[in-house]
Amino acid sequence: MMCLEAGRLLDAFVDNELGPAESADLQAHLASCAGCRQRLVDRESLGRLVRHLPYYPASDQLRAKVVRISLRPRFNRSLLAWAAVLALAASLGGFVEVVRIARARHVVETTASVADEVVGDHVRALRDHHLFDVQSSDQHTVKPWFLGKLDFSPPVEDLSSSGFLLVGGRLDHVAGQPVAALVYQRRLHPINVFIWSGASRTAASDTRSIRGFQVRHWIRNGMSFWAVSDLNDAELGEFMHALQR
Amino acid sequence: MPHRTFEEVVLPHLDAAFNYARWLTKSEADAEDVVQDAYVRALRFFSSLRSDDARSWLLTIVRNTWYGRFPRATAANQTTVFDDMTHDRPDESLDPEALVLQQQAVEKVQRAVQELPPDSREVIVLRELEGLSYKEIAAVVGIPIGTVMSRLARARERLLAILGPSATAMGEHS
Repeated sequence: MMCLEAGRLLDAFVDNELGPAESADLQAHLASCAGCRQRLVDRESLGRLVRHLPYYPASDQLRAKVVRISLRPRFNRSLLAWAAVLALAASLGGFVEVVRIARARHVVETTASVADEVVGDHVRALRDHHLFDVQSSDQHTVKPWFLGKLDFSPPVEDLSSSGFLLVGGRLDHVAGQPVAALVYQRRLHPINVFIWSGASRTAASDTRSIRGFQVRHWIRNGMSFWAVSDLNDAELGEFMHALQR
Repeated sequence: MPHRTFEEVVLPHLDAAFNYARWLTKSEADAEDVVQDAYVRALRFFSSLRSDDARSWLLTIVRNTWYGRFPRATAANQTTVFDDMTHDRPDESLDPEALVLQQQAVEKVQRAVQELPPDSREVIVLRELEGLSYKEIAAVVGIPIGTVMSRLARARERLLAILGPSATAMGEHS
Protein backbone atom coordinates (compact mmCIF):
# COMPACT_ATOMS: atom_id res chain seq x y z
CA MET A 1 0.00 0.00 0.00
CA MET A 2 1.21 3.50 -0.87
CA CYS A 3 0.97 6.56 1.38
CA LEU A 4 -1.63 8.09 -0.94
CA GLU A 5 -3.95 5.11 -0.50
CA ALA A 6 -3.23 4.99 3.25
CA GLY A 7 -4.14 8.68 3.54
CA ARG A 8 -7.43 8.00 1.83
CA LEU A 9 -8.33 5.31 4.38
CA LEU A 10 -6.99 7.01 7.49
CA ASP A 11 -10.19 8.84 8.44
CA ALA A 12 -12.39 5.79 8.00
CA PHE A 13 -9.89 3.86 10.13
CA VAL A 14 -10.00 6.45 12.93
CA ASP A 15 -13.80 6.40 12.74
CA ASN A 16 -14.06 2.59 12.83
CA GLU A 17 -15.69 2.61 9.42
CA LEU A 18 -13.14 0.46 7.63
CA GLY A 19 -13.74 -3.18 6.71
CA PRO A 20 -11.42 -5.83 8.23
CA ALA A 21 -9.42 -6.41 5.03
CA GLU A 22 -8.69 -2.75 4.39
CA SER A 23 -8.01 -2.27 8.08
CA ALA A 24 -5.38 -5.01 8.03
CA ASP A 25 -3.76 -3.57 4.88
CA LEU A 26 -3.60 -0.14 6.45
CA GLN A 27 -2.12 -1.45 9.69
CA ALA A 28 0.57 -3.29 7.75
CA HIS A 29 1.45 -0.03 6.02
CA LEU A 30 1.45 1.91 9.30
CA ALA A 31 3.87 -0.58 10.81
CA SER A 32 6.42 0.31 8.15
CA CYS A 33 5.73 4.02 7.60
CA ALA A 34 6.59 6.57 10.28
CA GLY A 35 5.07 9.43 8.26
CA CYS A 36 1.62 7.84 8.11
CA ARG A 37 1.89 6.81 11.77
CA GLN A 38 2.38 10.48 12.64
CA ARG A 39 -0.67 11.41 10.55
CA LEU A 40 -2.68 8.86 12.51
CA VAL A 41 -1.44 10.26 15.84
CA ASP A 42 -2.33 13.81 14.69
CA ARG A 43 -5.83 12.74 13.75
CA GLU A 44 -6.39 10.91 17.03
CA SER A 45 -5.20 13.94 19.02
CA LEU A 46 -7.41 16.21 16.96
CA GLY A 47 -10.34 13.86 17.59
CA ARG A 48 -9.84 14.06 21.36
CA LEU A 49 -9.77 17.88 21.23
CA VAL A 50 -12.79 18.13 18.96
CA ARG A 51 -14.82 15.93 21.27
CA HIS A 52 -14.24 18.50 24.02
CA LEU A 53 -16.07 21.11 21.99
CA PRO A 54 -19.22 22.51 23.57
CA TYR A 55 -22.39 20.52 23.00
CA TYR A 56 -25.32 22.93 22.95
CA PRO A 57 -28.46 21.44 24.47
CA ALA A 58 -31.85 23.05 23.80
CA SER A 59 -32.95 25.64 26.35
CA ASP A 60 -36.00 25.02 28.52
CA GLN A 61 -37.87 27.79 26.67
CA LEU A 62 -37.19 26.13 23.32
CA ARG A 63 -38.25 22.77 24.72
CA ALA A 64 -41.52 24.27 25.91
CA LYS A 65 -42.14 25.84 22.50
CA VAL A 66 -41.43 22.61 20.68
CA VAL A 67 -43.71 20.67 23.00
CA ARG A 68 -46.45 23.17 22.16
CA ILE A 69 -45.78 22.66 18.46
CA SER A 70 -46.02 18.90 18.83
CA LEU A 71 -49.36 19.18 20.61
CA ARG A 72 -50.74 21.48 17.95
CA PRO A 73 -52.68 19.08 15.73
CA ARG A 74 -54.68 17.55 18.52
CA PHE A 75 -55.59 20.52 20.64
CA ASN A 76 -54.63 23.62 18.86
CA ARG A 77 -55.85 23.26 15.33
CA SER A 78 -58.54 25.78 16.03
CA LEU A 79 -61.38 24.24 17.95
CA LEU A 80 -63.67 26.57 16.06
CA ALA A 81 -62.83 24.97 12.74
CA TRP A 82 -63.52 21.55 14.19
CA ALA A 83 -66.78 22.77 15.66
CA ALA A 84 -67.75 24.02 12.21
CA VAL A 85 -66.81 20.71 10.63
CA LEU A 86 -68.78 18.83 13.27
CA ALA A 87 -71.80 21.04 12.75
CA LEU A 88 -71.58 20.44 9.01
CA ALA A 89 -71.15 16.73 9.60
CA ALA A 90 -74.21 16.71 11.81
CA SER A 91 -76.22 18.47 9.15
CA LEU A 92 -75.02 16.05 6.49
CA GLY A 93 -75.56 13.26 8.94
CA GLY A 94 -72.29 11.42 8.69
CA PHE A 95 -69.03 10.85 10.41
CA VAL A 96 -67.63 9.89 7.02
CA GLU A 97 -67.93 13.51 6.00
CA VAL A 98 -65.79 14.66 8.94
CA VAL A 99 -63.07 12.25 7.98
CA ARG A 100 -63.27 13.25 4.32
CA ILE A 101 -63.01 16.97 5.08
CA ALA A 102 -60.17 16.50 7.55
CA ARG A 103 -58.31 14.40 5.02
CA ALA A 104 -58.94 16.88 2.21
CA ARG A 105 -57.61 19.64 4.39
CA HIS A 106 -54.53 17.64 5.24
CA VAL A 107 -53.95 16.93 1.53
CA VAL A 108 -54.19 20.63 0.68
CA GLU A 109 -51.69 21.54 3.41
CA THR A 110 -49.27 18.75 2.53
CA THR A 111 -49.37 19.59 -1.17
CA ALA A 112 -48.65 23.24 -0.42
CA SER A 113 -45.72 22.48 1.85
CA VAL A 114 -44.18 19.93 -0.51
CA ALA A 115 -44.49 22.47 -3.35
CA ASP A 116 -42.78 25.03 -1.16
CA GLU A 117 -40.02 22.63 -0.30
CA VAL A 118 -39.26 21.54 -3.89
CA VAL A 119 -38.99 25.20 -4.90
CA GLY A 120 -36.58 25.70 -1.98
CA ASP A 121 -34.54 22.70 -3.14
CA HIS A 122 -34.48 24.04 -6.69
CA VAL A 123 -33.27 27.47 -5.53
CA ARG A 124 -30.68 25.97 -3.21
CA ALA A 125 -29.26 23.66 -5.87
CA LEU A 126 -28.83 26.63 -8.22
CA ARG A 127 -27.39 28.90 -5.58
CA ASP A 128 -24.88 26.33 -4.34
CA HIS A 129 -24.00 25.29 -7.89
CA HIS A 130 -24.86 21.76 -6.85
CA LEU A 131 -27.24 20.70 -9.59
CA PHE A 132 -25.81 17.26 -10.07
CA ASP A 133 -23.80 14.50 -8.46
CA VAL A 134 -23.73 12.81 -11.87
CA GLN A 135 -23.39 15.06 -14.88
CA SER A 136 -24.31 13.48 -18.19
CA SER A 137 -26.71 13.88 -21.10
CA ASP A 138 -26.84 10.10 -21.47
CA GLN A 139 -29.78 8.49 -19.70
CA HIS A 140 -27.83 5.22 -19.58
CA THR A 141 -25.24 6.93 -17.39
CA VAL A 142 -27.65 8.84 -15.16
CA LYS A 143 -30.14 6.05 -14.46
CA PRO A 144 -27.64 3.45 -13.18
CA TRP A 145 -26.06 6.10 -10.94
CA PHE A 146 -29.17 5.98 -8.74
CA LEU A 147 -28.88 2.20 -8.27
CA GLY A 148 -28.39 1.31 -4.62
CA LYS A 149 -28.97 4.91 -3.54
CA LEU A 150 -32.77 4.76 -3.57
CA ASP A 151 -35.34 2.06 -3.00
CA PHE A 152 -36.89 2.65 -6.42
CA SER A 153 -35.60 3.24 -9.93
CA PRO A 154 -36.47 6.68 -11.30
CA PRO A 155 -37.37 6.86 -14.99
CA VAL A 156 -34.68 8.78 -16.86
CA GLU A 157 -35.79 9.74 -20.39
CA ASP A 158 -34.03 11.29 -23.35
CA LEU A 159 -36.28 14.26 -24.19
CA SER A 160 -33.92 15.97 -26.63
CA SER A 161 -36.40 15.47 -29.49
CA SER A 162 -38.86 17.63 -27.51
CA GLY A 163 -36.21 20.28 -26.89
CA PHE A 164 -35.33 19.37 -23.31
CA LEU A 165 -31.73 18.30 -22.70
CA LEU A 166 -30.85 15.97 -19.88
CA VAL A 167 -27.88 17.44 -17.97
CA GLY A 168 -27.57 15.26 -14.90
CA GLY A 169 -28.99 14.00 -11.64
CA ARG A 170 -28.37 14.05 -7.93
CA LEU A 171 -29.79 12.85 -4.63
CA ASP A 172 -31.88 15.40 -2.79
CA HIS A 173 -34.34 15.42 0.09
CA VAL A 174 -38.01 16.27 0.25
CA ALA A 175 -40.01 15.88 3.45
CA GLY A 176 -36.98 14.27 5.03
CA GLN A 177 -36.91 11.45 2.47
CA PRO A 178 -34.17 10.87 -0.09
CA VAL A 179 -35.45 11.56 -3.60
CA ALA A 180 -34.06 11.46 -7.12
CA ALA A 181 -33.54 14.88 -8.69
CA LEU A 182 -33.13 14.95 -12.47
CA VAL A 183 -31.95 18.10 -14.18
CA TYR A 184 -33.05 19.01 -17.68
CA GLN A 185 -32.48 22.22 -19.55
CA ARG A 186 -34.24 24.23 -22.22
CA ARG A 187 -32.24 27.18 -23.54
CA LEU A 188 -30.73 28.59 -20.32
CA HIS A 189 -33.57 27.48 -18.07
CA PRO A 190 -32.81 24.53 -15.79
CA ILE A 191 -35.65 22.22 -14.77
CA ASN A 192 -35.43 20.12 -11.63
CA VAL A 193 -37.64 17.04 -11.50
CA PHE A 194 -37.96 15.49 -8.05
CA ILE A 195 -39.10 11.88 -8.03
CA TRP A 196 -39.90 9.53 -5.18
CA SER A 197 -41.93 6.42 -4.71
CA GLY A 198 -45.34 6.74 -3.12
CA ALA A 199 -47.76 9.61 -3.15
CA SER A 200 -46.82 11.26 0.19
CA ARG A 201 -50.45 12.18 0.85
CA THR A 202 -50.38 15.05 -1.59
CA ALA A 203 -52.93 15.84 -4.28
CA ALA A 204 -52.66 13.63 -7.37
CA SER A 205 -51.74 16.59 -9.54
CA ASP A 206 -50.95 20.22 -8.97
CA THR A 207 -49.94 23.33 -10.86
CA ARG A 208 -48.84 26.47 -9.11
CA SER A 209 -46.49 29.40 -9.15
CA ILE A 210 -44.26 30.14 -6.14
CA ARG A 211 -41.88 33.12 -5.93
CA GLY A 212 -41.69 33.33 -9.72
CA PHE A 213 -41.08 29.62 -10.24
CA GLN A 214 -43.53 27.31 -11.98
CA VAL A 215 -44.35 24.02 -10.32
CA ARG A 216 -46.06 20.98 -11.85
CA HIS A 217 -46.86 17.85 -9.96
CA TRP A 218 -48.20 14.52 -11.10
CA ILE A 219 -48.24 10.88 -10.02
CA ARG A 220 -47.37 8.08 -12.38
CA ASN A 221 -46.58 4.39 -11.87
CA GLY A 222 -46.74 4.80 -8.11
CA MET A 223 -44.16 7.59 -8.12
CA SER A 224 -44.55 11.27 -7.27
CA PHE A 225 -43.12 13.76 -9.75
CA TRP A 226 -42.51 17.44 -9.01
CA ALA A 227 -41.04 19.64 -11.76
CA VAL A 228 -39.77 23.13 -10.92
CA SER A 229 -38.40 25.74 -13.29
CA ASP A 230 -38.29 29.40 -14.16
CA LEU A 231 -39.72 28.44 -17.56
CA ASN A 232 -43.26 29.68 -18.22
CA ASP A 233 -46.12 27.39 -17.30
CA ALA A 234 -46.91 26.42 -20.91
CA GLU A 235 -43.36 25.20 -21.51
CA LEU A 236 -43.22 23.37 -18.21
CA GLY A 237 -46.52 21.73 -19.17
CA GLU A 238 -44.92 20.70 -22.45
CA PHE A 239 -42.05 19.20 -20.47
CA MET A 240 -44.47 17.27 -18.26
CA HIS A 241 -46.25 15.82 -21.30
CA ALA A 242 -42.92 14.88 -22.90
CA LEU A 243 -41.90 13.04 -19.74
CA GLN A 244 -45.25 11.27 -19.50
CA ARG A 245 -45.12 10.04 -23.09
CA MET B 1 -43.69 2.80 12.95
CA PRO B 2 -47.26 2.13 14.00
CA HIS B 3 -48.94 3.78 16.97
CA ARG B 4 -45.94 5.79 18.07
CA THR B 5 -46.57 9.44 18.59
CA PHE B 6 -44.61 12.42 17.41
CA GLU B 7 -43.62 13.21 21.02
CA GLU B 8 -42.26 9.71 21.57
CA VAL B 9 -40.34 9.54 18.32
CA VAL B 10 -39.16 13.05 17.48
CA LEU B 11 -39.10 15.04 20.71
CA PRO B 12 -36.21 13.03 22.27
CA HIS B 13 -33.89 14.32 19.53
CA LEU B 14 -34.40 17.98 20.41
CA ASP B 15 -30.91 18.42 21.90
CA ALA B 16 -29.30 16.86 18.82
CA ALA B 17 -31.39 19.13 16.59
CA PHE B 18 -30.45 22.22 18.55
CA ASN B 19 -26.74 21.39 18.80
CA TYR B 20 -26.58 20.81 15.04
CA ALA B 21 -28.50 24.02 14.31
CA ARG B 22 -26.37 25.97 16.77
CA TRP B 23 -23.17 24.90 15.03
CA LEU B 24 -24.64 25.56 11.59
CA THR B 25 -25.98 29.02 12.39
CA LYS B 26 -23.35 30.00 14.99
CA SER B 27 -26.11 31.90 16.75
CA GLU B 28 -28.36 30.99 19.66
CA ALA B 29 -31.36 32.94 18.35
CA ASP B 30 -31.08 31.70 14.75
CA ALA B 31 -30.67 28.12 15.95
CA GLU B 32 -33.86 28.40 18.03
CA ASP B 33 -35.76 29.74 15.00
CA VAL B 34 -34.45 26.99 12.75
CA VAL B 35 -35.32 24.25 15.24
CA GLN B 36 -38.85 25.60 15.74
CA ASP B 37 -39.44 25.75 12.00
CA ALA B 38 -37.96 22.30 11.60
CA TYR B 39 -40.34 20.86 14.21
CA VAL B 40 -43.32 22.45 12.47
CA ARG B 41 -42.22 20.80 9.23
CA ALA B 42 -41.38 17.52 10.94
CA LEU B 43 -44.86 17.39 12.42
CA ARG B 44 -46.40 18.01 9.01
CA PHE B 45 -44.31 15.26 7.43
CA PHE B 46 -44.42 12.86 10.37
CA SER B 47 -46.79 10.50 8.57
CA SER B 48 -44.19 10.09 5.82
CA LEU B 49 -41.42 8.99 8.23
CA ARG B 50 -40.78 5.43 7.14
CA SER B 51 -37.42 4.58 8.61
CA ASP B 52 -36.66 3.84 12.26
CA ASP B 53 -33.97 6.46 12.31
CA ALA B 54 -35.94 9.48 13.49
CA ARG B 55 -32.79 11.33 14.51
CA SER B 56 -31.26 11.35 11.03
CA TRP B 57 -34.66 12.21 9.59
CA LEU B 58 -35.05 15.17 11.95
CA LEU B 59 -31.48 16.38 11.36
CA THR B 60 -32.15 16.30 7.61
CA ILE B 61 -35.15 18.55 8.14
CA VAL B 62 -33.11 20.88 10.38
CA ARG B 63 -30.48 21.10 7.67
CA ASN B 64 -33.01 21.82 4.91
CA THR B 65 -34.70 24.44 7.06
CA TRP B 66 -31.39 26.14 7.71
CA TYR B 67 -30.41 26.10 4.05
CA GLY B 68 -33.80 27.47 3.15
CA ARG B 69 -33.58 30.35 5.61
CA PHE B 70 -29.95 31.35 5.50
CA PRO B 71 -28.18 31.63 2.17
CA ARG B 72 -24.70 30.14 2.34
CA ALA B 73 -22.99 33.50 1.75
CA THR B 74 -24.45 35.13 4.85
CA ALA B 75 -23.84 32.02 6.91
CA ALA B 76 -20.16 32.12 6.01
CA ASN B 77 -19.84 35.82 6.84
CA GLN B 78 -21.44 35.72 10.23
CA THR B 79 -19.28 36.95 13.03
CA THR B 80 -18.22 34.36 15.51
CA VAL B 81 -19.08 34.84 19.14
CA PHE B 82 -17.38 32.96 21.94
CA ASP B 83 -19.56 33.81 24.86
CA ASP B 84 -20.71 30.38 25.69
CA MET B 85 -18.27 27.91 27.11
CA THR B 86 -20.66 26.81 29.82
CA HIS B 87 -21.26 23.38 28.35
CA ASP B 88 -17.60 22.60 28.04
CA ARG B 89 -16.50 19.49 29.83
CA PRO B 90 -13.13 19.92 31.57
CA ASP B 91 -11.06 16.86 32.03
CA GLU B 92 -10.80 16.21 35.75
CA SER B 93 -7.74 14.02 35.53
CA LEU B 94 -5.57 16.99 34.52
CA ASP B 95 -3.68 19.25 36.94
CA PRO B 96 -4.69 22.96 36.93
CA GLU B 97 -1.94 24.05 34.59
CA ALA B 98 -2.64 21.33 32.06
CA LEU B 99 -6.33 22.11 32.39
CA VAL B 100 -5.74 25.72 31.35
CA LEU B 101 -3.62 24.60 28.41
CA GLN B 102 -6.27 22.13 27.36
CA GLN B 103 -8.96 24.78 27.69
CA GLN B 104 -6.95 27.08 25.42
CA ALA B 105 -6.47 24.30 22.90
CA VAL B 106 -10.20 23.53 22.89
CA GLU B 107 -11.02 27.20 22.36
CA LYS B 108 -8.62 27.28 19.47
CA VAL B 109 -10.26 24.20 17.96
CA GLN B 110 -13.68 25.75 18.44
CA ARG B 111 -12.59 28.86 16.56
CA ALA B 112 -11.07 26.70 13.84
CA VAL B 113 -14.26 24.62 13.46
CA GLN B 114 -16.36 27.80 13.28
CA GLU B 115 -14.13 29.06 10.49
CA LEU B 116 -14.59 25.94 8.39
CA PRO B 117 -16.93 26.24 5.41
CA PRO B 118 -20.42 24.95 6.34
CA ASP B 119 -20.15 21.66 4.42
CA SER B 120 -16.94 20.76 6.27
CA ARG B 121 -18.20 22.05 9.61
CA GLU B 122 -21.36 19.99 9.54
CA VAL B 123 -19.63 16.67 8.87
CA ILE B 124 -17.29 17.32 11.82
CA VAL B 125 -20.22 18.17 14.12
CA LEU B 126 -22.32 15.19 12.97
CA ARG B 127 -19.40 12.79 13.33
CA GLU B 128 -17.61 14.04 16.44
CA LEU B 129 -20.40 15.57 18.52
CA GLU B 130 -23.42 13.53 17.41
CA GLY B 131 -21.46 10.34 16.80
CA LEU B 132 -23.31 9.57 13.57
CA SER B 133 -22.03 6.78 11.33
CA TYR B 134 -20.90 7.59 7.77
CA LYS B 135 -24.14 6.07 6.52
CA GLU B 136 -26.23 8.30 8.76
CA ILE B 137 -24.23 11.39 7.79
CA ALA B 138 -24.71 10.48 4.12
CA ALA B 139 -28.47 10.35 4.72
CA VAL B 140 -28.61 13.67 6.58
CA VAL B 141 -26.42 15.63 4.18
CA GLY B 142 -27.67 13.84 1.06
CA ILE B 143 -24.29 12.80 -0.32
CA PRO B 144 -22.71 9.40 -1.06
CA ILE B 145 -20.73 7.69 1.73
CA GLY B 146 -17.47 8.13 -0.21
CA THR B 147 -18.06 11.88 -0.19
CA VAL B 148 -18.63 11.80 3.59
CA MET B 149 -15.22 10.20 3.95
CA SER B 150 -13.43 12.69 1.70
CA ARG B 151 -15.18 15.68 3.30
CA LEU B 152 -14.18 14.53 6.77
CA ALA B 153 -10.61 13.99 5.61
CA ARG B 154 -10.50 17.47 4.07
CA ALA B 155 -12.04 19.07 7.15
CA ARG B 156 -9.53 17.40 9.46
CA GLU B 157 -6.56 18.28 7.27
CA ARG B 158 -7.74 21.84 7.35
CA LEU B 159 -8.17 21.87 11.12
CA LEU B 160 -4.72 20.38 11.59
CA ALA B 161 -3.26 23.01 9.28
CA ILE B 162 -5.00 25.83 11.16
CA LEU B 163 -4.08 24.50 14.58
CA GLY B 164 -0.49 23.57 13.99
CA PRO B 165 1.43 20.94 15.97
CA SER B 166 1.29 22.60 19.43
CA ALA B 167 -2.49 22.62 19.75
CA THR B 168 -2.98 19.05 18.63
CA ALA B 169 -0.21 17.91 20.95
CA MET B 170 -2.56 18.98 23.77
CA GLY B 171 -4.97 16.34 22.59
CA GLU B 172 -2.45 13.67 23.41
CA HIS B 173 -2.60 14.43 27.12
CA SER B 174 -6.34 14.60 27.44
